[in-house]
Amino acid sequence: MTVDLLTIVVPLIVGVLLGYLLRSKGKRNFNKATFGIIIVLIFSLGFSIGSNNDLLISLPKVGLNTAVMLVMVLLFSILFVKIARKAVGIK
Amino acid sequence: MIKYILLSLFLGGIAGYLNNMWGAQAVNTFISDYLFNFSLIALLFVMGLNFGLDKESTEKFKKAGFRILVVPFAVASGSVIGGLTSALILGINPVASMAVCAGYGWYTLAGPLNGQLFGVEWGALGFTVNFLRELLTIATVSLSVKIDKYAPIAMGGATAMDTTLPVIVRYSGSDTIITAFLSGFILSLMAPFTITLIATLA
Repeated sequence: MTVDLLTIVVPLIVGVLLGYLLRSKGKRNFNKATFGIIIVLIFSLGFSIGSNNDLLISLPKVGLNTAVMLVMVLLFSILFVKIARKAVGIK
Repeated sequence: MIKYILLSLFLGGIAGYLNNMWGAQAVNTFISDYLFNFSLIALLFVMGLNFGLDKESTEKFKKAGFRILVVPFAVASGSVIGGLTSALILGINPVASMAVCAGYGWYTLAGPLNGQLFGVEWGALGFTVNFLRELLTIATVSLSVKIDKYAPIAMGGATAMDTTLPVIVRYSGSDTIITAFLSGFILSLMAPFTITLIATLA
């Protein structure tokens, strides 16, 4: 089974539209369903990590990559927001 | 909730490791492929529902004005540029690195989605980078707020609409609540789109 742009974007957009249509029909929330789905999804992510021996061996490298990416992401996010704020004048 | 997610990742890892030792390939295919893809699509659908049902955010937009959109767009471009820079430093796949960083802190999505698009190694990275982003936002808020009043919102990314919102508001001030929420809301909507769009560059 392959997942591409359509398989990702279609369920999201259908969800948003359906949610928008359901708005008037009183208060609903899907917190419990969301939680259940997340647990199953993360379990299967863990499963695919655990069953991949090559990955388990290279976990220290994953750690280094994580550290560098985290620092860069936070640095540029803060910098760009600072610039954008000045440019548009948000206090 | 974090507790249950980490427990579920850990148990999944153990189960996968044991199953691999036993060599039950059919179980592996069922969980790593079918269950994984099915729950990923289900998550996108149910999150879409939640976004669509959210009446308050539309009203908040009207109040705050659309100028506020520069904040999430700055966070998004900062995150992607951060991913590109890391790839140049580390000598890793720049497209996958940008996609991982385009999770904006939403680790329950960024982990599985990047795993699906680029392979399980990137799934692990997508989880850790974005999970630690949320954790660091909370842990360093008293320091980051000194760099810039909006720095905690920038760090929080997509999580600024829910999990990190209370701490952000406490340190950045209650006048930032609408910006923080809307920035997180927009980034959450953007995350699946930007990750898959970046993947088409590969």
